[in-house]
Amino acid sequence: MTASITYLDALPPDRHPNLVDDGFELPYRLSRIAQLSNDVRAHLLKMIHLAGSGHVGSSLSCVDLVSVLKFDQMDASGKDVFVLSKGHAAPTWYAALMVAGELDPAEIGTLRRIDSRLQGHPDRTRLDLVAVSTGALGQGLSVALGRAQARRLRGADSFVYCLVGDGELQEGQMWEALMYAGARGLANVVLIVDYNRSQNDGTLEEIMPLHPLPEKLRSFHWHVQEVNGHSHLAIRDAVANARENWMQPSVIIAHTRKGYLGPGQILLNGSHSGALTPEVYEDAISYLGQVSV
Amino acid sequence: MKATRDWFGDALVDVAADHENVLVVNCDLASATKTTRFKQTFPERFFEIGIAEANAIGVAAGLAQEGYRPFIASFGHFLTGKFLEIFQSVGLNNAGVVLVGTHAGLAIGKDGPTQMGLRDLALMRSLPNVEVLQPADGVETRAMLAYAVTHDRPIYLRLCRQPQREVHDQDYQFRPGHPDVVSHGTEVAVVTMGAMVPVVLDAVELLAPTGLRPTVVNASSLPLDVPATGDLLRQYRHVLVFEDHFIRGGLIDEIGRIVLGLDRHIRFHAWGVDDYGQAGSPEELYERYELDAPGVASRIRAVTGANTPEIGGSKQ
Repeated sequence: MTASITYLDALPPDRHPNLVDDGFELPYRLSRIAQLSNDVRAHLLKMIHLAGSGHVGSSLSCVDLVSVLKFDQMDASGKDVFVLSKGHAAPTWYAALMVAGELDPAEIGTLRRIDSRLQGHPDRTRLDLVAVSTGALGQGLSVALGRAQARRLRGADSFVYCLVGDGELQEGQMWEALMYAGARGLANVVLIVDYNRSQNDGTLEEIMPLHPLPEKLRSFHWHVQEVNGHSHLAIRDAVANARENWMQPSVIIAHTRKGYLGPGQILLNGSHSGALTPEVYEDAISYLGQVSV
Repeated sequence: MKATRDWFGDALVDVAADHENVLVVNCDLASATKTTRFKQTFPERFFEIGIAEANAIGVAAGLAQEGYRPFIASFGHFLTGKFLEIFQSVGLNNAGVVLVGTHAGLAIGKDGPTQMGLRDLALMRSLPNVEVLQPADGVETRAMLAYAVTHDRPIYLRLCRQPQREVHDQDYQFRPGHPDVVSHGTEVAVVTMGAMVPVVLDAVELLAPTGLRPTVVNASSLPLDVPATGDLLRQYRHVLVFEDHFIRGGLIDEIGRIVLGLDRHIRFHAWGVDDYGQAGSPEELYERYELDAPGVASRIRAVTGANTPEIGGSKQ
């Protein structure tokens, strides 16, 4: 696993004109992302624990990706769009919204409950902090492309970020969308693949391998980067680099681990949707430290 | 004599001139769905996705979310075949896409059942926020397009391939969900929609010598206004529905539920296609499935004359 992780050379700090320059230096930004992503993990674990079910492994694997986007790279005034195509990681997005102060933490116990805004998979008709309703896999990128196309038509200066699972790339519609974005050069799209190599019934390799993924994506005319999906610095640089490419849509293959809590800490052996017993939950929370949830 | 898809192609260019947010999303069927004129007139507002309906539905949903009014046009069978994508990306997103499904019913003819829109109404009626519109002629097509561009809710616009005569006057006003009486009679109400409207009117002409004069109702948009439709239909002893669609899930179910909810007993009869359809010329198919004017006339006479309820399908 580790051997396959590649990390691109560090790039200059981002020059994205949309970003609010808060004047903070890189080390401060990184420590801030680290703290907030820790908070996101604690929030989502509590949420799933209270709900009694949920996709813990898939939600944890993308926390660092979502955190870098939400707390650092996406336009702070709300111009950018984030599409969570792997809708089963909804708790990660809800948790990030709570940590960002956009969603009331009092709703944390409502995940997966009747009449809740926090549906098991993101539902825009119930919560407008969700950009696109997702859950049935393979559809998010197409909607993201429509939004990117509309923004290009209007001449709007903003980006559409879309997070997909690696298993999700087995859906045929993904390749329709990849073909379209590449053919039209939709450069205001940044696709992030949560490459955790694990899906419902087993490993990606067992079920339906994607190898060689970078070559496939390049042949569809995408700008391809591979990063360690738990390195905030690496993700941050790759996202900034993706925005710099004005010729092609960009994809970041983020190598992650299912159930990733922190260095060396994998929850529930990286299972897709294992049950959180009180003991497992308490251990995880204690690992994450004292967090005001 | 023009098909509603032809009226659509012309009317779309007209409304798009006044509404800059109107876009077209195409799946390699511009010539068949009549959006070529739009493409020539507004090339920057025309998006070619290729033979990839699932992606096209998602792209249209994204465009709609950004405030545009995209019309995605394809054969109704191909479009509604991507039901999961319509359900989630359009329906559960409440995205203001106009899904334009052409080649409704048996009229695709010799290309056969793999291209035939015979279950599209059943699928689209199941989505609670999607309005289904099917114009009977050019006047109604233009009226429906004028209506469709004024709001941002999801719509399924069902269009036909076969050329047909006009049934409405130029001053016709489209009222969504309202049953439109196109011919007044007594005792029997015949409800239908789309290209079946002129067929049923022809059947009524064939019945004139028998003294039977049914009222013909064009139920051109679903869901129907239940009280208004019930008030209309409760005046009749027989209600018949004819539709160029599978016998379950479409207009028959819509009308049947309304009739069943009335406080008086009305005999209800329905006729549609009850198999997968098959290849043949449109004329042969409509005759074979008894959905041409003589077939409709004989059905009306049989069920009202014999006074026995009958829920039938096509002859095998």
